[in-house]
Amino acid sequence: MADFKNILKYLFLYHEPDIQEEFILKEKESEKAGKEKTSERRKEISEDKQKTDNKSKTSKESHESKLISKNLTDNIEYLKKVYSIPTNGDIVLREFEIVAKDKTIPACIIFYDGMTDRTIIDLAILQPLMLLSNLEVKDKGKELLEYISKHLLVHNQIQITQNMGKVIEDINYGGCGVFIDGIDAAFACDVKGWEHRGVDKPETESVVRGPQEGFTETLRTNTALVRKILKDEELVVEDVSVGKRSKTPCSILYIKDIVNDSLVEEVRRRLKGIKVDYIFDTGDLEQYLEDNPFMTTPQIIATERPDRVANALTEGKVAVVMSGSPFALVMPTTNIDLLQSAEDTYLRFPYVNLIRIVRMVAIFVSLLLPGLYVAITNFHHEMIPTDLLLAIEASREKVPFPSVVEILIMEFAFELIVEAGIRRPGQLGPTLGIIGALILGQAAVAANIVSPILIIIVAVTGIGSFSIPNFGLGLSFRLLRFIFIFLASVAGFLGISLGLFMYGIWSCSVKSFGVPFMAPTGPKTYSNFLEQFVRSPIWKKEKRPDYLNVKKVHKQAKISRQWSQDNKKKDKQQKYEIQK
Amino acid sequence: MEKKIIFGNREAISLLLIFMCNQLFLSFPRNMAESAGNAGWILTIYITVISLVLFLIISRLYKNFEGKDILDVAEFLGGNIGRILVGIIYVIDYVVIISVILREYGEDLKIISLVQSPISFVLALFAIGMVFGAFFGLEPLVRLGAISVPVIFLGFLITVVGSIKYFNFSNILPIFGTGLVEILIEGPSRTSVFSGLTSLFLIAPFLRSHDNFKKSGFIGLILSGLILTVGNLVYSLVLPYPSTTSNFLPIYQLSRLIEYGRFFQRIESIFVLVWSMTALIYLSAGLFFSAYIYKKTFKLEYHRPLIIPFGIIIFTLSLIPKSLMETMFIDNSIIRKYAWTVTFGLTLVLLILASIKIKVKEGRHKDEK
Repeated sequence: MADFKNILKYLFLYHEPDIQEEFILKEKESEKAGKEKTSERRKEISEDKQKTDNKSKTSKESHESKLISKNLTDNIEYLKKVYSIPTNGDIVLREFEIVAKDKTIPACIIFYDGMTDRTIIDLAILQPLMLLSNLEVKDKGKELLEYISKHLLVHNQIQITQNMGKVIEDINYGGCGVFIDGIDAAFACDVKGWEHRGVDKPETESVVRGPQEGFTETLRTNTALVRKILKDEELVVEDVSVGKRSKTPCSILYIKDIVNDSLVEEVRRRLKGIKVDYIFDTGDLEQYLEDNPFMTTPQIIATERPDRVANALTEGKVAVVMSGSPFALVMPTTNIDLLQSAEDTYLRFPYVNLIRIVRMVAIFVSLLLPGLYVAITNFHHEMIPTDLLLAIEASREKVPFPSVVEILIMEFAFELIVEAGIRRPGQLGPTLGIIGALILGQAAVAANIVSPILIIIVAVTGIGSFSIPNFGLGLSFRLLRFIFIFLASVAGFLGISLGLFMYGIWSCSVKSFGVPFMAPTGPKTYSNFLEQFVRSPIWKKEKRPDYLNVKKVHKQAKISRQWSQDNKKKDKQQKYEIQK
Repeated sequence: MEKKIIFGNREAISLLLIFMCNQLFLSFPRNMAESAGNAGWILTIYITVISLVLFLIISRLYKNFEGKDILDVAEFLGGNIGRILVGIIYVIDYVVIISVILREYGEDLKIISLVQSPISFVLALFAIGMVFGAFFGLEPLVRLGAISVPVIFLGFLITVVGSIKYFNFSNILPIFGTGLVEILIEGPSRTSVFSGLTSLFLIAPFLRSHDNFKKSGFIGLILSGLILTVGNLVYSLVLPYPSTTSNFLPIYQLSRLIEYGRFFQRIESIFVLVWSMTALIYLSAGLFFSAYIYKKTFKLEYHRPLIIPFGIIIFTLSLIPKSLMETMFIDNSIIRKYAWTVTFGLTLVLLILASIKIKVKEGRHKDEK
């Protein structure tokens, strides 16, 4: 009966619906309270908040300035607090004892599981300390420290520090901290051993001729790849860490006796002047370093190729590599650098010149072709030869849109295909191709939405933008193309030249690490002015670029093919002897 | 404080070329034909020689003022009053010339390709570019000048080469056109053609030494004299005398004749690109100089805030003439006849007086010793 009553009640009476949300991410209690209460209360809270902020700040800063205690238990307590042990699952804190004759000294090691090499820890740190320590040990703390570092820890990279912050920083980057009771110092051992990708072919800058190795995500591998190519003791790999919390390790690479010191100092100053919590990739770093963030053109070269970095270093440039990024940054960069590919130095000069001309055309096409089409069809019909004009007009006859709208539709569709092509996995590639080619190409023309000539224009423009060697520059031109379309639709060729003028003025005013971006054309500087556009034979490149103001200007002898001189001498001698 | 700008001879020469040769794309050949008939090119050579002689004197006198611009010289001579007086004359000179040329470019472009657009729209586009360019300052402008001058020159060369087949040597006969006496009399006032040389007196501090000043001035004058002469000569060779005086756009008219086979018949539209680029660089540099002189005249701290007001003044002034004909009249009969008073007259007077002052001072020093 009671059940029946309940059912009736359930059916006919009003019920407050159950609360659906199981979890709400609330604002901080203190802030919430602050909003509700009076301004006085608000003031109090803000003061409290300031205090807590300061507290958290000091907690982060405190272990940077904290010294290691002589008492192991204190150190362990501190480490447990810092690393949230036992909540944190991947940190290993292993306590053990060093036995020295009849005395046992408590000790502990701490490291992140997965970031370190277990075998090294077992064989080079734990085994000698636990098993081989049965030797004479003197009582004084400092001597014990020296003894352990010189005799017991058989690992090759060990740092002794009294600063807790240093140990913590090392542990965070795949190191292992060793703490021993009675010593107010700790050992930071480099036992990095995380999973990483091997050296592979560079995917974004492939070449036919030349080395096929690319950078990886590991910092030391990357610096080693460059060092392997240069084999020069003057190459300096200077370590800097960027990011207040992440402390991401970076290396500044330069050749000491070539590079201009003030350039290195500037790179160092900028790297050290970045105030950010975390930084992960040179893509982020580039944006923090560049001179003019609003300029569309990239002002620093990002490359995946160690040989390209090495080549730039020999010219007197500076490179920055970063842990976790397979791209190195090369600076300073001028506009011509963006137009050159890694292969340019490896190929014989006549071929390179052909390729460079093709590239120039590609740039012109990718930037201006749609704009020129709009300008010509709207303002300058007279420019087109009559036959061609008739052909274009006949093909546009049934298209209902003005040419600007038509071209914007197709350009946008093209950008869509490109974006989709990058984001979709390879298996879906053919589908995308069919959609792109058939539907947007053929069907759009058949449906009289766009004219066939426009498809050709968009396709040529697209191919042109992919022929630009630098990815960033290609993107920049894809963006600027729309501006040129707009300008051309407003004022034809005048609009285009207005755009070119503005872009030119802007480019001329920009500097990349103190070097004018348009050097060596504007301002004109020496150093094979023509060399920058067309390539001369390799033996003609005698000097390093003038605008880099390097310490050593010449990079090869005036006559580098010395043997040709030797041959001439021999010939002369032979002739002389015959004459005799 | 603004950083010190320094640029090389190449940049300075490019700037001078743009300042002096841009009128070739406007009505210059026609003006010359009006003055000296089909001997316009002889008149051009004549005024180039006169200008070179005058510049020789100027550069001699300028030796004492290495690293100083004309306003500094005026200040040395007449203190604040001298500087302000000369400054105001220069500002007026620049503003008037730039506004007239802005109008001419606008009108001509409207005739060539933007037939249906109102003139104020075309002028506004130029004015936007002009303000934008001037805002970035002189350094990028001269750099862009150095990059684009070869391209512009190539455009001019194509026009010259393309019209070779229309050359008719009987067109330049009689060789002295309207008469040698007329050429000789007309010559001196026509040196106003080189009014752009004033820019050299303003960029003097940016050039490293007096030698550079001299070198850029001479090369600039000789090259522009050469280009103007060739332009004039080609124009006179292609068109008979009566029609040389009736074309608005002489060089454009020549470029229309170019024909390479059946396909490349009408490439003069590309000329618009080259032409508007020249105009934009010239106008921006002119606007920059107006603001810069004004700043220096009244010892202001910045020149940038002056750019937009000056841009608006120039734009407004350019709208005053009623038609292209009126603008061309102002250009031909006023500016190109009297601008020499500022370019050469004022400069020479200032430099001579300043040199005398230096001598007097030196004499006094010797006496004291």
